Amino acid sequence: MLELIFILPMLTGLVTLAVPPYLGRGVLLVTAILHFQLTIMAWLGKLPVYAERFFSETPEGMLVLLVTSFIFLCIACYSMRYMEETGLSNGTVFPGCMLLFLGTMSMVTLADHPIVLWIAIEATTLVSAPLIFLHHSKEALEATWKYVLICSVGIALALLGCFFITLSIDIAEIEISLSFTFLNQVATQLDPMWLKVGFIFVVIGFGTKMGLAPMHTWLPDAHSQAPCPASALLSGALLNCAFLGIYKVHTVMYLAGLGEFSGNILIGFGLLSMFVAGVFILRQPDYKRLLAYSSIENMGIIAFGVGIGGFALYGAILHMIHHSLIKSSLFLSAGNIHLGFDTKIINRIGGLIKYFPKTFLSFFAGFVGISGLPPFGIFISELFILIGAFQTGHPVSAILFMLSMLLVLAGAAQIFTNMSFGVREHEVLVRENVLRIVPPYILLLASITLCVWMPSAMYTAIMNTIKIIGGTIHG
Amino acid sequence: MESLVSIGIALLSAPLFPGIILKVKALFAGKKGPPLLIKYYTLLKLLRKGSVYSSTTTFVFKLGPLVSCAGGIMILLFFPLAAVVPVLSFHGDVLVLFYIMATGRFFTIAAALDTGSPFQGMGAAREAFFGTLAEASIFAILILFYRMTGALSFGEYFTGATPISLTGPSGALLLLVIVALFMVLLTENSRVPVDDPATHLELTMIHEVMILDHSGPDLALIELGSFYKLYFYAAFLTLIVCPLNPAGGLLNLPIFYGVLVLIYVTIGLVESTMARFQMSLVPKFVLASSILVVFAAILTMGFI
Amino acid sequence: MKNINDMIMVVILLSVLLSLASSRLITLIKIMAVQGFLVSLLPLLLEHHSSMGSGGLIFFQVMILTKGILIPVLLYVALKRIAIQREIEPIIGYHASLFAGLIIILLSVFITDRLHLAVPSGQELILTTAITTMSAGFFLMMGRKKAITQVIGYLMLENGIFLIGTALIKHFHTVYMVEFGLLLDLLVGVMVMGIILHNINHAFDDIDTDLLNRLKD
Repeated sequence: MLELIFILPMLTGLVTLAVPPYLGRGVLLVTAILHFQLTIMAWLGKLPVYAERFFSETPEGMLVLLVTSFIFLCIACYSMRYMEETGLSNGTVFPGCMLLFLGTMSMVTLADHPIVLWIAIEATTLVSAPLIFLHHSKEALEATWKYVLICSVGIALALLGCFFITLSIDIAEIEISLSFTFLNQVATQLDPMWLKVGFIFVVIGFGTKMGLAPMHTWLPDAHSQAPCPASALLSGALLNCAFLGIYKVHTVMYLAGLGEFSGNILIGFGLLSMFVAGVFILRQPDYKRLLAYSSIENMGIIAFGVGIGGFALYGAILHMIHHSLIKSSLFLSAGNIHLGFDTKIINRIGGLIKYFPKTFLSFFAGFVGISGLPPFGIFISELFILIGAFQTGHPVSAILFMLSMLLVLAGAAQIFTNMSFGVREHEVLVRENVLRIVPPYILLLASITLCVWMPSAMYTAIMNTIKIIGGTIHG
Repeated sequence: MESLVSIGIALLSAPLFPGIILKVKALFAGKKGPPLLIKYYTLLKLLRKGSVYSSTTTFVFKLGPLVSCAGGIMILLFFPLAAVVPVLSFHGDVLVLFYIMATGRFFTIAAALDTGSPFQGMGAAREAFFGTLAEASIFAILILFYRMTGALSFGEYFTGATPISLTGPSGALLLLVIVALFMVLLTENSRVPVDDPATHLELTMIHEVMILDHSGPDLALIELGSFYKLYFYAAFLTLIVCPLNPAGGLLNLPIFYGVLVLIYVTIGLVESTMARFQMSLVPKFVLASSILVVFAAILTMGFI
Repeated sequence: MKNINDMIMVVILLSVLLSLASSRLITLIKIMAVQGFLVSLLPLLLEHHSSMGSGGLIFFQVMILTKGILIPVLLYVALKRIAIQREIEPIIGYHASLFAGLIIILLSVFITDRLHLAVPSGQELILTTAITTMSAGFFLMMGRKKAITQVIGYLMLENGIFLIGTALIKHFHTVYMVEFGLLLDLLVGVMVMGIILHNINHAFDDIDTDLLNRLKD
C-alpha cells in the first residue's frame, strides 16, 4: 500500500530515537534505501492507495516524492561519515529526526485532502526544528525559535485558507467530500470570492514555508545554523513540499477560471523573492547564508514560472527538480568546506582548489549549475521560463526576471571565485573523504543526465502535471 | 404603597450590608468578626456625639455631608427595587440621577478642599480623577441600555415593556456589563482593589482621607450616604443578574435580597482575596471597565 | 440554546480583552485555559453539529482535555522553569493594547458586516469572535517581547482559526481522524516551543526576544 512510503520512515524514525545511538546510522541508511525502493515501486504503479479519502497518487506529488527520496538517499550516504566526524553519531536526535522529516515530507507529497496536507506540512516544521537546534549554540537557538514561530504562524494562516476553500464548497452548495481530486472536478462551480481569499491565505501561509519574500526571514537563519546534511534536505526537499501545497491550490484556481488572478499573485511574489535574494547575496559574508538566499531566489523563479503558465510551467517543474539536485549538492560540498576549515565566513576562506581539489570541483560545478549556465538543467529550465514569459506577453516581468538573475550571478560569481582561487593559508582540520565526495557528484551528475536523457515515465509525469493547468511544451 | 414599602425596607436595611462584607472578610481571615449590625451601632454612636468644626472651614464644609446623603436617598427613590415600580420616575431620569450622585461627590470634594489640609486635597484630586473615569463606563452602559431597550429611566429598564434580561435578545452582552458594573461599583464605593476602606495611612487613602475632618452627625451622614450609594450599585447589579417579574410585587423581595446578599458576599470575597492596586494601576482598571462596555455596545451592531 | 452560545462567545471575547490587558504571565495562562475550554465547547452547542456521532463526542472530549488542560499545564511547567513572572516592558503598553483591542473588535464587526456571509442565521457573532481572537493573537505576538507571550499569541491565533473552522464549515466535511491530526500538531508544536523556550532561558538567562538578534544581514 502506498501509505507505507511515509509510514515506514516515521516508524523507523521513532524507533531510532529509542535505540542505542550506534544503531542510528545503520537504520538511517537502510531506511533511505528502502524508501527509495518503495518510491520506485510506486512509480511503477505497484502500490495501490489504501486510504483513498486522504491520499492519492498525483503526478506532481510523485515527482516531488522521487526527488525527495533520491536526495535523501545521497544525504544518508554522506551522513555516514559526516555524523562520525562531527560527533552527531553519539546521539539519536539527528538520525531520528531526519527519518521523521523524510516521513512527513513523503506524507505531504501523497496528501490529497487539504487538511491532511496542512497537517503534514506543519509536522515537517516540528520534526525539523530539532535538526536546526542540534549545535545548541545561541545562534542555533535563535534560528530555531524564528523557524518554529514564523513557520507555525504562517502555516496557521494556510489552515485558514484551507477552511475558506472548504467554505467555497459549502456556499456553492455542492455535496462532495473534501479532497483536491474532487475540488478539481467541481472547480467551476465553487464560490469564486472565497476561493480567492483562500488562495491568498494559502500563498501567504505555505509561501512562508517555501521562503517567498517577504516571509522568508526565517530561511537564511535556519539554513545556516542547521548541520549541512539537514540544510541540504531543508533546501532541496522541504521547500518543494511547501510549493506543492501552493501548486495544488493554484490548480484548483486555474480550473475555476481564476488562473490569471492566482498567476499574477505568484508572479508578484516570485519577482519580489528574486529581487530580495539578489540584493542580499551581493554582500553576503557567510557562504551558507548565501546558499540559503539562492534558494529563496530559486523558489521565486519557480513561483514566477508557475504564475506565467504555458511554456514556463514546464520550465518551472524542471527548475524545481534541478534546483533540488544542485542545491543539495552545494550544501553537501559546503559541509565539506565547513568541516575542513571550521568557519562559515567567506573572507576567511581561500584556495579551495589547493586544499580540497575534489570538493572544489563539486562546489564550483554546483555554482555553475545554480547560476544557470550549461551543461546543467537550470540553464534549460530558466530558458523555458523566459521564453514562456515572452510568449504569454509578460515582457516587463521577463526583463525584471533577467535583471534579478544578473544580480545574483554577479554577487555569487565574485564570492565563489574568491573562495576557490583566493590566496590564504589554512590549517586543514578534517581531510576529504570519499563518502563525503561522491554524493555531491552523484547529485550533479543526475542533473546533467536529466538534461540529455529523461526517463519516459518522468516525462509523462511532468506532462500530466502541467497539462491540467494549460502547460505545454509546444509553444 | 408597594413602592413605599420597598423603599422603606431599603433605606432601613442599607447599613446592614456593609456589615456582611466585614463579616465575610473576618471569616475569611479566620476571625470571628464584628456583629452584623455593627454599622447601625456606629451610626448611633456618631449621632449621639457633637460635631467639631475647624475654624478655617466655612458653610461648604457643613453642606458636604448633607448633599451626599440626600443624593444617595434620592437615587433610591427612582430605582425599581425588587422590580417594584419606583416611587418617582420620568423619561430621562437616569441622566439626572447620575448627575445628582456626581453633585454629592462634588460637595464632598468641595468640603474636603475647604479644610485646607494637604492630605484632603490629595484625596479629593484622586477621587475626582477616578470618578471621572468611572463616569465614562457608566455612560457607556447607559448608551448600551438605550440601544437595547430604547428607554432612559431605571423604571423602564427593569419594569418596562422590554426589560433587560440575560435571556432576552443580545442578553449575552450583559455579561460584559455585569463585569464592568462590578468594577465600577468597586471604584465608586472605594472598595479594595481601588481603595482600602480599612487602611491607616493617609497617603494611600482616596475616599477616607477626604472625610478625616468630619465628626459626629456629619460623619454619620457621610457614612449613610455611602451605604446608599453602595446599595444602589449592588441593587442595579442584582436586577441585571437576576431579572424579576414586575407583576410579582412584594413577593420579589426575598429573591431580590437573597441575590443582593450574594453580591455583597462577592464583594467581601474580592476584598479578601485581592491586594490593593498600585495607585498608577487604578486608572487602567477603571478604563478597562469602560472598554468592556464600549465593547458590548459595538457588539450590539452585530446583533441588531 | 442560542443564548448560551452567545454567552460563551462573549466570555471568549472577554478573555481576549483580559489577555491584552494582563501583565502577569500566570494570569495569561489561566485565561488561555478558559479560552481553550470554551472554544472547544462551543461546537458541541452549535445546531448544525447536533447530529454528532460517538466519534465526535470522543473527539470533543479529547479536545477540551487538550486545549483546556494539557496545553495550559505545559505552558505552566515551562513558566515555572523559566521563573519569570511578568512582562515588564511590552513594546505596546497595556492601555494602548486595550484600545487596540477595541479597534480590533470594531474592525471585526465591520468586516463581518461587509462579508454578507451565508453563515447559519444567528451565528454572525461567531465570525466576529473568531476574527477578533485571531487578530488579538497576532497583536500579542507583535506587541510583547517575552517569548512565552508569543507562544500564547500563537495559541490564540489558532483558537480563532479553529472557531472559523468549526463554525462556518458544514459538519460532513469534518473527519475526526483529520481533526485529531490537527490537535496533535498543535500539542507537539507547543511542546517543541516549550523545549526551545527552556533552552533559550538557559542560554540567555531570559526569554526576551530582543536578545535574539545575533543573526542578521
